[in-house]
Amino acid sequence: MTRATLTRIIAAILVLTAIIAVPMTQIHWDGTQGSSQANKIDTLLNVMIVLSSFVFAIVLVMLGYCIWKYRAKPGDESDGEPIHGNTKLEITWTVIPTVIVLFGAIYSWVVLGKIETKASDALPINVTAQQYEWTFNYPVGSGDKVVSSKVLEVPDGRQLELHLTSLDVIHSFWVPEWRIKRDLVPSGPGGNDVDNTVEVTPDRDGTYNVVCTELCGYGHSTMRALVKVVPEDQFNAWLKKQPRVKAVPGTPTGSATGAPSEETTD
Amino acid sequence: MVAALKKPGLGRGAVGTVLAAAFGLGLVVLLRKLSGLPAFQTEQTGYPQVIVPAITAPFGFFIGLGAFDYWFRWAAGRPTYPAELEHKDHGASSWRDYFKFNTDHKVIGIQYICTTFVFFFIGGLMAMIMRAELAQPGTQIVEPGTFNSLFSAHAAIMIFVFVIPIFAGIANYVLPLMIGAPDMAFPRLNALSFWMLPIAGIMFVGSFLCPGGGFDAGWTGYAPLSTGAPLGQSFFNLGVQFAGASSVATALNFLVTIITMRAPGMNFWRMPLLVWANMSTSLLVVAATPFIAGVQFMVLFDRALHTNFFQALNGGDVLSYQHIFWFYSHPAVYIMMLPGFGIISEVITTHARKPIFGYRLMALALIGIVVLSYTVWAHHMFVSGMFSWLRIPMMITTLLIAVPTGIKIFSWLGTLFGSVLHLRSTAMLFALGFIVTFVIGGISGVMLGMVPIDIHVSDTYFVVAHIHFVLFGGSVFTIFAGIYHWFPKMTGRMYDERLGRLHFYLTLVGMLGTFVPMHWIGMEGMPRRVADYSAQFGNWNLAISCFAFLLGAAQLIFLYNMIVSWKWGPLAGDNPWRSKTIEWLVSSPPPVFNFDQIPRVVGGPYEFGVPGARHAIVGPAEAEVGAPTPAVAGAAGARSP
Amino acid sequence: MESAAIGATAEHEHHGPPEAHASSRIDRQTLGILLFIVSETMLFGAFFASYFFLRVVASTGPWPPEGLEIPKAVAGVNTAILISSSFTVHWALESIRRGNRRGMIMGLAATWLLGFTFLFIQMNEYVHIGFSARDTAFGSIFYGLTGLHGAHVTVGLMLLAFANIRAWRGHYTSEPKKHLGVEVPGIYWHFVDVMWIIVFTTVYIL
Ligand code: HEA
Ligand code: HEA
Ligand code: CUA
Ligand SMILES: [Cu+2]
Repeated sequence: MTRATLTRIIAAILVLTAIIAVPMTQIHWDGTQGSSQANKIDTLLNVMIVLSSFVFAIVLVMLGYCIWKYRAKPGDESDGEPIHGNTKLEITWTVIPTVIVLFGAIYSWVVLGKIETKASDALPINVTAQQYEWTFNYPVGSGDKVVSSKVLEVPDGRQLELHLTSLDVIHSFWVPEWRIKRDLVPSGPGGNDVDNTVEVTPDRDGTYNVVCTELCGYGHSTMRALVKVVPEDQFNAWLKKQPRVKAVPGTPTGSATGAPSEETTD
Repeated sequence: MVAALKKPGLGRGAVGTVLAAAFGLGLVVLLRKLSGLPAFQTEQTGYPQVIVPAITAPFGFFIGLGAFDYWFRWAAGRPTYPAELEHKDHGASSWRDYFKFNTDHKVIGIQYICTTFVFFFIGGLMAMIMRAELAQPGTQIVEPGTFNSLFSAHAAIMIFVFVIPIFAGIANYVLPLMIGAPDMAFPRLNALSFWMLPIAGIMFVGSFLCPGGGFDAGWTGYAPLSTGAPLGQSFFNLGVQFAGASSVATALNFLVTIITMRAPGMNFWRMPLLVWANMSTSLLVVAATPFIAGVQFMVLFDRALHTNFFQALNGGDVLSYQHIFWFYSHPAVYIMMLPGFGIISEVITTHARKPIFGYRLMALALIGIVVLSYTVWAHHMFVSGMFSWLRIPMMITTLLIAVPTGIKIFSWLGTLFGSVLHLRSTAMLFALGFIVTFVIGGISGVMLGMVPIDIHVSDTYFVVAHIHFVLFGGSVFTIFAGIYHWFPKMTGRMYDERLGRLHFYLTLVGMLGTFVPMHWIGMEGMPRRVADYSAQFGNWNLAISCFAFLLGAAQLIFLYNMIVSWKWGPLAGDNPWRSKTIEWLVSSPPPVFNFDQIPRVVGGPYEFGVPGARHAIVGPAEAEVGAPTPAVAGAAGARSP
Repeated sequence: MESAAIGATAEHEHHGPPEAHASSRIDRQTLGILLFIVSETMLFGAFFASYFFLRVVASTGPWPPEGLEIPKAVAGVNTAILISSSFTVHWALESIRRGNRRGMIMGLAATWLLGFTFLFIQMNEYVHIGFSARDTAFGSIFYGLTGLHGAHVTVGLMLLAFANIRAWRGHYTSEPKKHLGVEVPGIYWHFVDVMWIIVFTTVYIL
């Protein structure tokens, strides 16, 4: 292959990369960003989109070029030139992907560290799942008194420390706008093997949904709960006027205050 | 009539099934009576009176079918068959022989392929029902419980009784020919492994008849949902055992065949890459499959005997299920891909008229994937609450798998470079299409492999999109490529290329239209395994469903093409693709015993364009050209059991 | 299926097809049983993995839980019995190698009886052990591992039974490949023994 074609091919690859990557990075695939974690994850996604577009462009261009250039003329029964390999080339395409994925791994590692850093003033909330509803308990004041709610009402801009437990099968806690997901695993006396706390810092007022993303039976598709992110003082006011109830370990406490969540599917 | 029931065959098999089932039932009732329990137990996870017969019946079937006749004589020390009967179960002279216990690897290959395609269409039909339900938000056609059973069965069928076994089937047919062996190492074991498949499939499909409906815990059957699920789940547990035993036995057979029965001159660096691929796959199967067998046994025990493997309240460990399950099921995804890689290598060199680029690195990449794939299982558990320290190492190994896989992709491209590229065969079209679709699926896999991204998209439609790009755009495309490539060899006839091309383009468009948008709705917030979803995803899902129906319709073209060409297609000749590997040097279809004398291998398998280079010399067998033997001409009618 | 791996093999002559070229020094049935043992080992691996999770990860209290006693002594004796059976089967093989059919028959019979005794004592242990697979995860995995091994002993006994019968009926001679029917089940039997030693140390001793 002449130098000229080589440069043309490389040019084509870069152009195609741009054509794929630029629009794709403009779109907010993951939807609204509702937490300080969301932004970091979306950036990582965009970086990966660019790299992947590059890889994909290489494959497409090479494939297209070969089909266009080497397509057999009708009736041509000759054989191609017997090239058995090329060590330099093979090393190249072993090394480049290795570099790309290792970069991706390290970057992800950093991001993971960032999104999981614990804040000192985190607000603890006990999330309990059962077929097919959610209960949120806010430990308040002294002893085992809690505020119990079917709506997850949280302050804006403060880190939440969610303690997840399930009463029957595995469920999964996901708020798409927060980008955070974690399974709720039923755990017995020896439940200490499950990593059941997850941190998230909502930073955008509004009403969202808790979505159950682990198949948990008949009602899985409709197992939802409302999330209300409100300014700190408004949250405190809300918390104040909630009834204090006794937390019975292992069972979701409290009357079904707040909006019923089962039917909402959006 | 009675005589008919006395001699081995499906009739006697049916009788055996009934007797064995009755025996099992009697056993349960007797034991329960002895221990002073009511004869029947109908608590939803129990039903011993159903489970035990379901275990005994298949063995009755095998005995009736004649699978054990030889071994019984052998075990009893009686003289086994006299010389003239030694091969009475070998080869097919009419389509009826395809419904018998047959020890000819070529017959078994056909049996595998037809049976698995039947299951492909059943699983696909389930997908169609799912897509119809998902076309609009809300529940219209099936209620959520049924929907759960549908996608569970869809996946179980596609994976355990379609993709995994059909690769075993294709390899069964071509691999012994490729390495110049007269048959597989253990022909009777080979036949037995085939006959376990219909059993597994029937259990998956039949579970829908159970009280409480089919198994509905997904194909992953996570405990404790599965341990508390209705009766149907037990049939998943059992079906997996039969499918698993079948593929372990086949893998064992392949390994022994490849290691001990290669033709003289065929050293490891002269084996076609399809042989390499199946060798690597068999290594995965032999060492990984027992894990799913084990874990499904534990689930069955938790269900039927009320043990506590996964019962957190009694000291069980819920997450251990996922660890053990994925230690099999991640390697399983390469079990579903590596044989496909082999097929693609064969197809691409043949139709590019060029030696495979970097043959040795291609072979080593396969081994690399085998080794790595044992070290990545927890990438399915990033959000499961498992030990958080395990995530980073698993992420790194997971991403590294992109490297050997990339080597294969680029080597195929290297093979195309400077080639004489023939697009006339549908096989080649599917091979090239595979490169595009699989790379997309692989890249989405790499994104899933990055913990932060996975935290967001895990268990969403993004994963469903990944699944289908690698399994449909990957495995199934390679399967189609393989079927089209070896169809002339297996049937002696040529399929209709125009219909083939139509099938390819419709499938490509259909699969892109169906599975690309799934990435988007997934990232935007649509979880997987839901019968009902929020209105905001309505339009996309409608579009997806329409493309899915197109995709389904396209498969009907394939079906038509295969059946018609098998019966009426023009004769293909021995080597329509002018390929070099040994299976093309014998007649199409090959003689009953493959070779009159074992071929001699004198060079590499892909020496295209090398003047005077030969791969193998097949003795007088080379003379036998032309018209299909009655074996397959008759087999035209063969419908799978 | 086990019997399959072997049954398909012994004295398996082709008449129609050409004899396959032997591209490796190891013969099919031996390689077959070795690979089969690999996958069997992994099956045990699954249960050992579960054992690890139940004991190390999930369990909080003592192991085994209070009140549950496992009869180490009986099991120890039983272990001795099983191990000795490994020697008898080896004796059988050596005998036929030297053409001593009587020695082979005795060896095989002795092995079978020892194996059966082991199984019998194991059953007896289950009856008197005082806890079932239903109480606590410990019970489940105890029965899981020992039961899985018991199943393998049963299979081994089946294979040995075939070998015994065929030996009685006058099969097997000293020339190579003519006594694979003794050798192959022998290999499997050694595996069953080794596996028991591992199970015994993990479940009873550690
Ligand atoms: C044929 C089957 C198959 C194959 C081959 C793969 C291949 C891969 N899979 Fe996939 N996977 C599945 C079938 C398969 N998968 C299934 C069925 C599930 C869902 C299970 C369930 O139901 O939950 C799943 C789920 C799944 C998950 C879990 C998602 C979740 O549930 O949260 C992850 C996460 O890491 C993952 C990763 C990968 C990776 C990294 C690869 C890699 O092997 C891909 C490697 C290939 C490439 C990368 C493309 C070619 C390479 C190049 C062109 C080189 C350059 C590339 C780069 C530098 C990026 N897969
Ligand atoms: C090899 C594996 C394989 C294959 C080939 C397919 C093929 C298809 N799959 Fe499958 N699928 C899986 C493996 C596979 N799938 C797995 C592992 C899961 C995860 C399950 C789980 O979550 O547990 C899954 C889940 C899954 C879902 C998600 C379910 C959910 O999470 O809620 C969906 C939804 O659209 C889907 C659709 C399809 C479609 C439209 C096809 C099409 O390609 C099918 C095309 C084929 C046909 C249609 C058959 C031929 C035609 C006929 C039978 C005639 C009838 C035709 C018409 C009526 C037009 N699949
Ligand atoms: Cu709870 Cu899904
Ligand atoms: Cu995986």
